[in-house]
Amino acid sequence: MLEVKNLTKVYDDGTVALRNVSFTVDDGEFLVVIGLSGSGKSTLLRCINRLVEPTDGSIIWDGQDVTAADPPDLRNIRRKIGMIFQHFNLVKRSSVLTNVLSGRLGYVTPWASLLNRFPAADREAAAKALERVGLTEQTRKRASELSGGQQQRVGIARALMQEPSIILADEPVASLDPVLAHSILGNLERLNQEDDITIICSLHYLDLVQRYATRVIGLRDGELVYEGTRDEIRSMTDDQFKQIYGEEAERITAGSIGGEA
Amino acid sequence: MSDQITTEAEKHSAKRGAKSKRPDSGDILNRELPSLVTPTVAAVMSAVIPGLGQMFARRVQRGVILLAGAASVIGMFVWRFRILGERAEVPGWPVFLRALDRRPWFVGFILVALVAIWILSAIDAHRTAQRPSRSGAGAFLAIIAALFVLGWQVSEIDVGTAIQRIPDALPPLARVIWPWEAAVEFEENEVGGTAQILVSPEGMIPPQVDPQPGEPGVTISPRQGTLASQNLDGNAGAIGNVPGTEVTVSGFGFEPSTTTEIRWIDQNGSIFPIRQGRDELIVETGADGTFSVIFTLPFPLIGADPEPSGTIHQVQARQVFTGEATASRALLIIISRMVETIVLGMMATLFGIIFSIPVSFLAARNIMSGSRISMAIYYLVRFTMNVIRSIEPLIWVLIATVWVGLGPFAGIIALTMHSIAALSKLYSEAIEGIDPGPIEAIQATGANRLQTIAYAIIPQMISPFVSFSIYRWDINVRMSTVIGLVGGGGVGFILVQYVRLLQYRQAGIAVWFIAITVALLDYVSAEIRNKLA
Repeated sequence: MLEVKNLTKVYDDGTVALRNVSFTVDDGEFLVVIGLSGSGKSTLLRCINRLVEPTDGSIIWDGQDVTAADPPDLRNIRRKIGMIFQHFNLVKRSSVLTNVLSGRLGYVTPWASLLNRFPAADREAAAKALERVGLTEQTRKRASELSGGQQQRVGIARALMQEPSIILADEPVASLDPVLAHSILGNLERLNQEDDITIICSLHYLDLVQRYATRVIGLRDGELVYEGTRDEIRSMTDDQFKQIYGEEAERITAGSIGGEA
Repeated sequence: MSDQITTEAEKHSAKRGAKSKRPDSGDILNRELPSLVTPTVAAVMSAVIPGLGQMFARRVQRGVILLAGAASVIGMFVWRFRILGERAEVPGWPVFLRALDRRPWFVGFILVALVAIWILSAIDAHRTAQRPSRSGAGAFLAIIAALFVLGWQVSEIDVGTAIQRIPDALPPLARVIWPWEAAVEFEENEVGGTAQILVSPEGMIPPQVDPQPGEPGVTISPRQGTLASQNLDGNAGAIGNVPGTEVTVSGFGFEPSTTTEIRWIDQNGSIFPIRQGRDELIVETGADGTFSVIFTLPFPLIGADPEPSGTIHQVQARQVFTGEATASRALLIIISRMVETIVLGMMATLFGIIFSIPVSFLAARNIMSGSRISMAIYYLVRFTMNVIRSIEPLIWVLIATVWVGLGPFAGIIALTMHSIAALSKLYSEAIEGIDPGPIEAIQATGANRLQTIAYAIIPQMISPFVSFSIYRWDINVRMSTVIGLVGGGGVGFILVQYVRLLQYRQAGIAVWFIAITVALLDYVSAEIRNKLA
């Protein structure tokens, strides 16, 4: 179980990204975070594995205080939390295999990994992970040669290599077209259901949220403004959705929902 | 006065506005800033001082440019004029006449252009004062035309000479374009034999020496004689040349049917051809490889008459065969200098890379933006690198030759300086352009700092670093050919020497090698960079 308590983040330039946000995530949930751009979704996800240092509050994961962990402990925590990104964040010049293997960096001997040496077991695991996302054929290619959807699947394979308990997905489909969006979220849903990996994912489109989320939280200007169960989100109307997004964004969200449908 | 103009303009624009609803910003400007003088006054002003009328019509910039343009035309004209009119006895009018006499077209054109500038500037002032949007570019075009004609004259362009001298320039040029005759030399193989003859009245007659088996032999008979001499007192016959003893030289064992030279070797070992009349003595061997020739002994080069006792001279017969072609000395020198050039470029690139990698981190904004101190270092490094880069490698060579003397090392120093400045700029831009996404992603896997550098940062940097370095090597080799011209070693150094010695073939070979190397390098470097991209 992941508990987020009174989480606050103020950036150096004074921007308040999160204000006193608290919620819990049970194991095995597919939690979707919704909210406008700049509402703090990315910051929230990055606070969970401390890519962004929280200013205040705490994050307790299975009884361990993530926010208080020293660097070695933090690396041990991070390696159990996979992460995928809107822009995939692959090392474009490296091969697909190297990108996937880099998911093991938290586990392997640091010096061996600097020479690009990974245990045979890891190489097998990488092959399996690539098979699982359907990219066996692309193993030797450069990441930059792949299409957007394929790159995101490499991102998923990289996260899988961490044998994660949680996967953080920051707008994983925002750079992809709708058909690919379903393919990627389908992959995540399968990991959620088959491997029992908790997914915390930020999304924009209402129909995707309704289709995949088991629970939803909404952020506006860094504050938690909505919490809903699967059933509540399924019965949600566009108007309610817009309320979370704020009236001023009405046209934009309506447009994007329309475009999606 | 100005009110009247404004009304005029308003009426005018109102009429136009009624016809077409197009808003005219020029009219609005005009209404806000009316001319200070009437069009006629403006025209008169500009007819006296070009641009003055425009300035009073509130088009100050236009006026200043016109005035500056007209002033520079006059300034340059007066300067060229005084040069053309030089040596005129009295200053003033004769200077003009002499200049006109020497370059009638030039002086005539400039005078016409000056008149045109004044007239057009006056017309322009009139129109500008009426409505700024209507003024044209005529006066400016006249100024530009005059400046280019002056430029033609200042830069001493002389098409006539260029065409006239083409016939003279062609032969050396042809040697540069196709220089390969100088690239080969032929070995000379010679076979021959000698026979000795006593040329003084007293002494031992030398024995007939039998040749080594397989080698040709030469005999002379008689084996004693006197050299040719000059009878100066006329007691013993007519004044004039006294021919030497007539001798018969025979040879055997030579290559059959081959031209054979007969040469004389005196007691000091000096060799010279034997002349019979005007021609050198040359015989052709028979089918059996023998020859026999009769001639009279030549004059001594220096010597007493009679020769001191026991002076022995030799007669030599030799056949020369052209052997295998070998690379000429010039070719070998040029190749070794070309290698030197490439190595020079390589070393300079290597040193450039070594020094510019640390410097590039200091010159990368995203790395140095942490604190005020680091930003100060950033600006200092950037400034220094800009200064170094703005100094041409040719100038660096001159500095370096003062420091370490002529030669390749000076060239390396010069190219290294320029490479450091250029590469650190390119590298630092590559560092600034790094994508932070992968860094974040690798950190999120639990990787430590070193692993993050190895997996997220280095892969992003390698390709631009390698690509820029190869490009730099390419540039450095190209530059090192030029750097040699001013004493920086390499092929350029030797090229200048050949040109100065008028050895155009050798110079041509150097030019060919430079062209081939540069083209190859260009291709290879582009290919590698394409592969990396």
